[in-house]
Amino acid sequence: MPDAESDLTRRLEEARREGLERVNAARTLADLEEAQIRSLGRKAPLSLARASLRDVAPEARKELGRLANEVHAAVQSAIDRKRLALEAAELDRRWQEEQVDVTLPGDAPPAGSVHPLTRTVYELVDIFIGLGYRLYEGPEIELATYNFDALRTPVEHPSRSPSDTFYIEGRIDQVCLRPHTSPVQIRTMETERPPVYGVMPGRVYRRDAQDATHLAGFTQLEGLAVDEGVTMGDLKGTLVHFARSIFGKTLEVRLRPHFFPFTEPSAELDVQCFVCRGSGAPCRVCKSEGWVEVLGCGMVHPHLLEWVGWDTERYTGFAFGMGIERIAALANGVPDIRYFWENDLRMLRHFVGQP
Amino acid sequence: MRVSLKWLAEYVDVDVDVDRLKDMLDLSGTKVEVVHRPGADVDGIVVAEVLAIHPHPNADTLTLVDVRTSGGEQRVVCGARNFAAGDLVPLATVGSRLPGMKIEERKIRGEISRGMLCSAAELGVSRDHSGILVLPSDAPLGADVTDLLNLDDTILELEVTPNRGDCLGMIGVAREVAALLKTDLRIPDVSLDRAPDVKNDVNVVIEDPTGCPRFFAGLATDVSVAGSPVWLAARLLSAGVRPISNVVDVTNYVMLETGHPVHAYDAALVADRTFVVRRAKPGERLTTLDGVERQLDPEDLLICDPRRPLGLAGVMGGEESEVSDETHEILVEVAHFDPVAITKTSRRHNLRTEASARFEKGADPNGVEYAGHRVLQLLADLAGARVAADDVDEHPRAFEPRSLTLRTARTDRLLGFETPPDEQAALLRSVGFEVREGETLEVTAPSFRPDVEREVDLIEEVARLAGFDRLPETLPPGRAGGLTGEQQAERTIRRLLSGMGLHEAWTPSMMSSRDVDLLELPEEHPGRRLVRLANPITEAEDVMRTTLLPGLLRAVARNAAHHADAIPLYEIARVYDPSDRGDLPEESLALAGAFAGARRSRSWHGEAKEWDFFTVKGILETLFASLRIPNVRFAPVKSMPFHPTRVALLSMGRNVFGMLGEVHPTVCERYGAPERTVAFEIMLAPVLAALPGRPEVEELPRFPSVYLDLAIVVDEMVTAERVGELIEKSGAPEVVSVTLFDVYRGDQVEVGKKSLAYGLELRVGDRTLTDQDAQRVRDRILVVLRERTGAELRA
Repeated sequence: MPDAESDLTRRLEEARREGLERVNAARTLADLEEAQIRSLGRKAPLSLARASLRDVAPEARKELGRLANEVHAAVQSAIDRKRLALEAAELDRRWQEEQVDVTLPGDAPPAGSVHPLTRTVYELVDIFIGLGYRLYEGPEIELATYNFDALRTPVEHPSRSPSDTFYIEGRIDQVCLRPHTSPVQIRTMETERPPVYGVMPGRVYRRDAQDATHLAGFTQLEGLAVDEGVTMGDLKGTLVHFARSIFGKTLEVRLRPHFFPFTEPSAELDVQCFVCRGSGAPCRVCKSEGWVEVLGCGMVHPHLLEWVGWDTERYTGFAFGMGIERIAALANGVPDIRYFWENDLRMLRHFVGQP
Repeated sequence: MRVSLKWLAEYVDVDVDVDRLKDMLDLSGTKVEVVHRPGADVDGIVVAEVLAIHPHPNADTLTLVDVRTSGGEQRVVCGARNFAAGDLVPLATVGSRLPGMKIEERKIRGEISRGMLCSAAELGVSRDHSGILVLPSDAPLGADVTDLLNLDDTILELEVTPNRGDCLGMIGVAREVAALLKTDLRIPDVSLDRAPDVKNDVNVVIEDPTGCPRFFAGLATDVSVAGSPVWLAARLLSAGVRPISNVVDVTNYVMLETGHPVHAYDAALVADRTFVVRRAKPGERLTTLDGVERQLDPEDLLICDPRRPLGLAGVMGGEESEVSDETHEILVEVAHFDPVAITKTSRRHNLRTEASARFEKGADPNGVEYAGHRVLQLLADLAGARVAADDVDEHPRAFEPRSLTLRTARTDRLLGFETPPDEQAALLRSVGFEVREGETLEVTAPSFRPDVEREVDLIEEVARLAGFDRLPETLPPGRAGGLTGEQQAERTIRRLLSGMGLHEAWTPSMMSSRDVDLLELPEEHPGRRLVRLANPITEAEDVMRTTLLPGLLRAVARNAAHHADAIPLYEIARVYDPSDRGDLPEESLALAGAFAGARRSRSWHGEAKEWDFFTVKGILETLFASLRIPNVRFAPVKSMPFHPTRVALLSMGRNVFGMLGEVHPTVCERYGAPERTVAFEIMLAPVLAALPGRPEVEELPRFPSVYLDLAIVVDEMVTAERVGELIEKSGAPEVVSVTLFDVYRGDQVEVGKKSLAYGLELRVGDRTLTDQDAQRVRDRILVVLRERTGAELRA
């Protein structure tokens, strides 16, 4: 074998060894770039050796050419493999560097709340909207006529006296702060034609001294349904649906006869105590009665329909009224209804989120 | 109304247990509020005779009492002094039990006490704590007091509704129970032996037949006033009434039994044996049995003799004609009074009595005679009285029982379940109605049911007696419902504000008339037009509020006192204006907010950020943006209760609808709110009126925008709003948005001037704008700004 050929063979083998060493030694992608240039670049020993192929005998050239290609491919393949490895390592390093403690608190916008009384009103209104009712509101400063006369509370009744009902200065016995939402029944029937299905929330006022169960101002929700053929069974079915929606599907519900001047027959709705379930054990909520009074209701007294000029033979209806504070306290386990009017954020924060 | 089951058994046989009876009463409309078992915790209390009372050597308020029982004598220490030697009293011996205590021998201020004398309250029979219960003189010595006073009784405390005065008597309750148990009612026979030689020479003059439609006067002579027998005392105690003397006890007993109040007079103290029923004369006075001298009102109905008032009719008798131990002859009054007159007198004098409670609910006008005879009968039996041969019964206005027609089909239509006509008739008869059956039921209501006025009242009787458990659970026919747009918008506003971290508050609708001064509202401010209450409870709430701010500022103060670090509150509620239009004041919905403390609390993400004018303004801007209400203007203004230079007036077009500002430091201090509390208040009606319909989406731009920045220097007095408007106007149509991104005052700008830097977005619909186009727009804007505001391009 001529010297030139063996020299070239040696140079190619040398290039392979050095190339692989360089690639092997590369620690970064930049190192690898450098190794590529120095192993496979134009001035690299391999390229120079390839250029020397011209100088060897044509019969040996083919064999050496094959060797040169083999060396090139081997180095190139080593570089490719190394690049993948280095890229993976590089990403790995980035992930490590960018790691966060996911248990650190987030950058949260503070959560606000809708007042529990509002939430309760919405919840109740929505139950009746679902039954096809509309929402009506009336004045809080109301004519005594609407508030009492239309509702069968005669002039001499004690609840009309200034010791029980607030009156506006200069208009005692004529204009009062409504002590219940019931006058909205009359106003609604005056402005609508039958049938009427209405739910009427609002603030009401009584002069009872404020204590754990009474506030001078509090909140009620009234319901009214007047149509052809409305029965007391319809009242019961409606209220059972309401009570189970609010207090729970499995509780017993009962109507108990009572008296209100503007309904006849009248009743109170009792729901089985959802704390003790009538077990007879000492119970703070129902005082071990087993039942909790929830609202007053009844069939609309014909006097009201006559007042607004509706035909009492054709139309019958039912009405109900409840204290929102009481319902909200029962439903949310609030120990004292005065909490609702103190606006203490420690209380309000229990109601974060939106209804 | 307290109902002893032992007593009730005199009128009706109760063959169900107490729980069942309670349920039946509850579900028929007379709710049992409490079941008392007074004897349950009482054991070993015996009748003892008081032998002697000695002072306690170490305590002025105590005495040493020697008592004797069948088992011997002993000494006890006692704190009461309402008894004397010879009286019979309940003795709790050593080892006996009372509610909540066990009696042991103990030393009281150095003296041994072997047991304890008991009050009615200690025995658990009533709330009467005023002294030792003195027992009737016929009580056997050493007898067990539990048996003697029927303490092993069950007492039902009933809630009697205002329409059911008849259930304020044992017979009325018994009638209900008999109807519920479908058994018979026994009404005591009141036949009595009369003395033919005793003439009833009483005169009754009813001057006010409206106030007193009927007056029965009975006469009993040869009365011996003494203590009542044990059975009578025990029954009164079961009803919570303290026994006094046989005569007084009989009147109370008959009231409790019949529900009809009764009054007894010492005949010797009624001048001319003449009763006059009339209204009071101006200036007249009367000392009632409770020892209070009362100034009478010309509307008060009185029982008088020809000389003077004897008592407040239907409420309380007078002291001067009271029955005493010397009384020999008794006049018995059983009258019917107008419920309204009694209610008014009772309220006017703040005097609620057993009698007034019954007359207010309407006593039985036809029950007068029965009650009168019952009293006379018992006086004869228990006080040895001889009853006059006849009675006086003045009833200038006879009571006509009410006749009604009941269509039984109407009952079924109203209730939603069927009750056969004969069952409806039977139910009505069971509670005392007379019924004639035919096509319809012709019904006569008993005189003790004045509440039954029309057909529907009869339907109620049928319903409650048939039982509400027979009602089906159905739903009415129904119609389309839903919330109006405005009602939904009110909910949306709450959700948006709470979603931005605010907490909704509910504060009282009333405020103090002083609040408008605390806020220093100017004289002509509409918030000073107050709807005043005629009868406020307190000065702190004597007017209807014209602004939500006082309530919110107080809520802020309360939370600040609890060291809340962030206090963002809002409220949506009505404010009130004494409008000249219409019958009633005007009520409008307002939205207000009050903010103190941290907007963002300190955290590892950064320092705390406090609420300030601009963070609150931002809340409102996002609210209006979310409601898609454009063009809300914030204009400078000067107005209390705000910081004079940090307050803005909110308007839409010409419509001013609110204010936003830092609350004036003086006002903050007055309400106890932290300094730099920020607040706003807006009227909601204009906002709801401005709500747009559904959004209409336009074609998206096909050519890109170009952006350029513009920094100018203007005088301090030139507002950002003014500059922004000029840029928008002069930049039109290419300028599509203007954002102020920097406000600078300092070294690089002259004193009294500020630099404003804006980012502008330019775009047209038909081509891409070039740099030259942008330059031209910028020059156009600068010319206008220079001309109108003296602005210079910032170097």
